[in-house]
Amino acid sequence: MRNRDLLFGITTLVVAVVYYRLAVAIPESDLADPVGPQGLPRVYALLLAALSLILIARSLRSGQPATPNAERQTPQSAESRIPDPRSRPLRIIGMLLIGVAYIIVLPWLGYLLSVAALITATIYFQGGVINGRSILVAVSGAVCLWLLFIWLLRIQYPAGLWPSVV
Amino acid sequence: MAVGSLIQLLFSTAIIPAAFGGVAWGILGGALPGISPSITMALLLPFTYGMDSTVAVVLLASTYVGAEYGGSIPAILIGTPGTNAAAATVIDGYEMKRQGKAGEALGISLYSGFVGGLFGFLVLVLLTERLSSVALAFTPSSYFALGMLGLSVIASLAGDSLLKGLMAGLVGLMVATIGTDPVTGLNRFTFGSPELLSGIPPILVMVGLFAVSEMLVQTTAPDWEKATRETARIRFPTPAMWRRIAKPQAIGSAIGAFEGMMPGAGGAISSFLAYNEARRWSRHREEFGHGSPEGVAAPEAANNTVACTALIPMLSLGIPSSNSAAVLLGGFLMHELVPGPMLFVQHGEVVRGLYAGLLVANIAMLIIGYLIMGPCIWLVSRPKPYLMAFIYALVVSGVYAFQASLFNVGVALAFGVVGYALRYFAVPFLPMVLGVVLGFMIESNYRRALVLSNGDPLTFVRNPISAALLATAVVVLAAQLMRQARSRGDAR
Repeated sequence: MRNRDLLFGITTLVVAVVYYRLAVAIPESDLADPVGPQGLPRVYALLLAALSLILIARSLRSGQPATPNAERQTPQSAESRIPDPRSRPLRIIGMLLIGVAYIIVLPWLGYLLSVAALITATIYFQGGVINGRSILVAVSGAVCLWLLFIWLLRIQYPAGLWPSVV
Repeated sequence: MAVGSLIQLLFSTAIIPAAFGGVAWGILGGALPGISPSITMALLLPFTYGMDSTVAVVLLASTYVGAEYGGSIPAILIGTPGTNAAAATVIDGYEMKRQGKAGEALGISLYSGFVGGLFGFLVLVLLTERLSSVALAFTPSSYFALGMLGLSVIASLAGDSLLKGLMAGLVGLMVATIGTDPVTGLNRFTFGSPELLSGIPPILVMVGLFAVSEMLVQTTAPDWEKATRETARIRFPTPAMWRRIAKPQAIGSAIGAFEGMMPGAGGAISSFLAYNEARRWSRHREEFGHGSPEGVAAPEAANNTVACTALIPMLSLGIPSSNSAAVLLGGFLMHELVPGPMLFVQHGEVVRGLYAGLLVANIAMLIIGYLIMGPCIWLVSRPKPYLMAFIYALVVSGVYAFQASLFNVGVALAFGVVGYALRYFAVPFLPMVLGVVLGFMIESNYRRALVLSNGDPLTFVRNPISAALLATAVVVLAAQLMRQARSRGDAR
């Protein structure tokens, strides 16, 4: 926990520094009020930097165990139930990449094919097996969502390769 | 509200189907372990964008009502609470199931949820408007102070780590500054992107933090136990049982009513408090932990009361006291309805519609809760990878549908990563959500108040409402700091 607090403190300190630099770069305006568009962002950045430094100092000073509340919030409690912890980062990155890939391929493949691919890939990264049944689930899930979003809600999705069914 | 106008309201809009639909969706979502009421509501948020505003808020609030009951289904059938609030129900509900009384436990849970929900509804109707009427005299300085009071809620939400809660709140405030400056119209932190000019909608932050991060967590969580259809034929309580569970229901409802209004308390705390108090006041204390019907009735009445009373500070002051209330607040903001003092003046019909919808939702819970048991068990028994894949597809499709924007999908994914990181670092979500939701109100009113007072900072303490709200915020923060200091002292 000490290391996590330290890492969190360093991360937020970096966020505060970057945000402050961006805040001071906001141009002044002739219409500006006493506080101005930079005013509160600078205060937020300085406060976050100060709190980050306190957290860093506190975590360096003490190696206390996690608080009960903290334990409840983290996925650590689930860690003991994870079969192979080594695959955890890969699976999480895989899940994110699936989302990114969906954004990239949607304009090319259209909704139906993209969402079927997303479901298939997600089944795999959630620990499922790719077989005939999972493909069937992916296709039927995609059709259900197509009916909901395109047929019922009339959402305009990119047409892609298959414009008649977007 | 007159009965005639209530009936007219119910039948002139789609409130009834929305209430029934929301409850059904909520029960299904709540029944899935890991999918909390707030996630169930967040999944629905994008769909409500194009709806009539009254129907949209009824749908979301009814989802909350349904999810609180839905969480008890896996708690009783497989010993895994579908929601945090149902954790107390596991103790005696699952024990009853092991004794072959699953149907009875489900019936007690449903009936107690109904009783608690109706009680919470009455408290909501009686208190909300009175509380908000105080706030009709609000000026920009009062609104700023109200926002600060809202942020002070972080002290209660952050648990034992006030420092990290405050940091998360600040990050939320920073997110709220993205977009066009509220006074000068200058662009801030937009990096030339036209999509960022109007800022980051709170809905994307919520879907990312709650739903996407849960997907990432579930990636490495094992599958849950499966229920069988035979275990779940609901049996409503007999008259003798009604009499026996009346007291724990009253205890649960009273605790739920009080705790629901308290920032950060939520359903989980009130359920455990109700369980504990019901045991203390029971004539059958020895049965608790061994399949006591009272041990199911008290927490279920409490968490369904909370589903209504948690809306009191949200509707009257614009301060969400729980994750689910924050998502509902996001739904209001999406429809340009600003909860707080003026909501009752400017959009009284929406509030009346919400009241009517909540009443219908509580009745609908009783009906749908009975009918939907089969589909629920079917759903809970599906392989987890299939369910999660479908939910992920629903998330990305719903976020796109919100403004037909792939950029928004990317933003929600990015906040999913932030949410996962917050979980990893043991930082609560709600302070960040509060920062995002209240950030604009705080900044715009702070600056307006200073413009109106020619830059005099004493304007915030000269206005009695503003001074009282700021003083309350300071007291809340100080009390939490003292509590932490005391608990640290005890630990030594």
